[in-house]
Amino acid sequence: MSDEAPSPSKLAPGVGHIGVARHGHQAILSELSYAYPLKLLSTIVHQEGTAVVYMLTYGGGLVGGDNIELSATVQPEATLVLLTQGSTKVFKNRHGQRRLANSRLNSSNDMTKQSLVVEVSSHGALFLLPDPVTCFRAAKYSQRQVLKLDSTASVVLLDWITSGRKSLGEYWSFSRYSSLNEIWINGKRVARDMLLLEERNETVSGTHLETLGGSLAPYSCYATVLLYGPILEHTLHTLAARYNTITVFKKASRPKIIWSFSSLCDERGGILRVAGEEAEDVRHWLGETFKSLEDVIGIDTYRRTFG
Amino acid sequence: MDSDEEAYILLLLSDGNLPTGSFVASAGLESYATHGFLSPLPEQKGKDKVACLVDFIRNSLSTYARNSLPFVHDAMRVVQQIIDGTSSDESGWLDRALQDLSALDDLYETMTLNHVSRRASKSQGVALLTLYSKGFSKPRSSIPREDIRQHRISTLVDKFKLMIRREDTHGHLPVCWGVLTGSLGLSLERSQFLHLFLHARSLLSAAVRMNTIGPYASQQLLLHTVRPLVFSEAKNCSHLCTGLRVSLPGQHSEIDEDSRFDEDVLESQGPAMTWPLGEILAGRHDLQHSRIFNS
Repeated sequence: MSDEAPSPSKLAPGVGHIGVARHGHQAILSELSYAYPLKLLSTIVHQEGTAVVYMLTYGGGLVGGDNIELSATVQPEATLVLLTQGSTKVFKNRHGQRRLANSRLNSSNDMTKQSLVVEVSSHGALFLLPDPVTCFRAAKYSQRQVLKLDSTASVVLLDWITSGRKSLGEYWSFSRYSSLNEIWINGKRVARDMLLLEERNETVSGTHLETLGGSLAPYSCYATVLLYGPILEHTLHTLAARYNTITVFKKASRPKIIWSFSSLCDERGGILRVAGEEAEDVRHWLGETFKSLEDVIGIDTYRRTFG
Repeated sequence: MDSDEEAYILLLLSDGNLPTGSFVASAGLESYATHGFLSPLPEQKGKDKVACLVDFIRNSLSTYARNSLPFVHDAMRVVQQIIDGTSSDESGWLDRALQDLSALDDLYETMTLNHVSRRASKSQGVALLTLYSKGFSKPRSSIPREDIRQHRISTLVDKFKLMIRREDTHGHLPVCWGVLTGSLGLSLERSQFLHLFLHARSLLSAAVRMNTIGPYASQQLLLHTVRPLVFSEAKNCSHLCTGLRVSLPGQHSEIDEDSRFDEDVLESQGPAMTWPLGEILAGRHDLQHSRIFNS
């Protein structure tokens, strides 16, 4: 498969395109194409002007060398909700399949990559609400989410990661994880959130130091949410007000869940960061916080994400 | 610049009494303490408050180095470009340098996403430029007419400061540090190393003011425990850059805003945040019931 030059009609491995347009009360998928190991699945929802697409991978995970490149275009007044089905699991390599899966492996690179670029036109909206990424021991993973928005567009971008397979004793024991989130508005970059987590030297000049896990303890899930646009105005306002009423008195031990919020773009946008001891605590917290999205993306979609 | 001269500049810049505003910044340490992070977790037997403080310093240095040194690198490159510019009659050098610096400043703003860190970075940045123009630059009248280099540097710093005052640019700390040390003729390596050393020292000073450790313990940590951390982070991040396409003489047309940065370089060798917990705690600074620092 990898030896064949892709014909013009054929997509390269891992590539996908989504096009969403508004037609009366409905959203129509003007394009939905994808190539192994990426799979896209749309479901019918009754929310006005909204299309829901699941981003799936075969076997429910990604292995070293996988390269997913998804792009989407959201036309004026249309809404796209992008979801996953369960967490994105990143393996270093799939046991016993390394040779067989040669077509998916780029031998010089054991990094797993995902790239998502979405353009959202006027009064359009994007809700990127995947389940968290879970990188297994020694995995190397890099993802980027670049959103190019019209200034009247709206977006919620959720990006979260968990510490690994608890049952196997994994706690932030992957080799490398990076996640880039960018928001561009009318061609100008307004936010670039670049997170890089790497395993560390545990000694420097004989001094014993913390592991990556130590620096993130006691939390096993970190989430970042970027918000922007008129649809989120009320949500942003509520979040800022709630945040500013918090008063922290000196604590004897670390809180179970901790969050911060900063306004961006003259309060038309914002960034929320949450860390929790358990991923489910974070999911629950986000669900409560974004309850107002029920009306925007539909209760079914909301429940699939935060339920 | 010979090594004696460089050593002299280093001594000046590392003076704890320099009016740079760093004494009001704790870079999240105060919030870390308030939220209970100086107390070891139950499973961390044998660990004490000082060990938790060292963890903070290491994590803070790591994320700050990765985030800021690429900007120091490129801001110094911009200054170097105008110092090396040979043709004295060549016009447009100033606009080009200011455009490049404000592009770096804009990028730092878009990457510094919590309001507390943004505020602290801006106030310390502008303080450095004020320090240069009021404290380090020669009086204009005493600069010989033929010393084009000195004239250019003074003009650049003054204009950049004016842009900050007019809010045409932000004046973030790493960019201003690059301008200051570039103007003083420090080498890139020295400048980056000193920047991290001062970051570590100001964390320790904050710890002393917070009464977490005493002044002797602070010196001892700085000399023994923190030294290798500063060295290793400076080394790890010395090669990083933002991918800024520095404007060259003769480039008359303005660089397209979309392509000011080589995005591939920016992604692979560029700034990144490496400690999300520190980011959350820094952002919660203002929520503390009582506080002595501004960040």
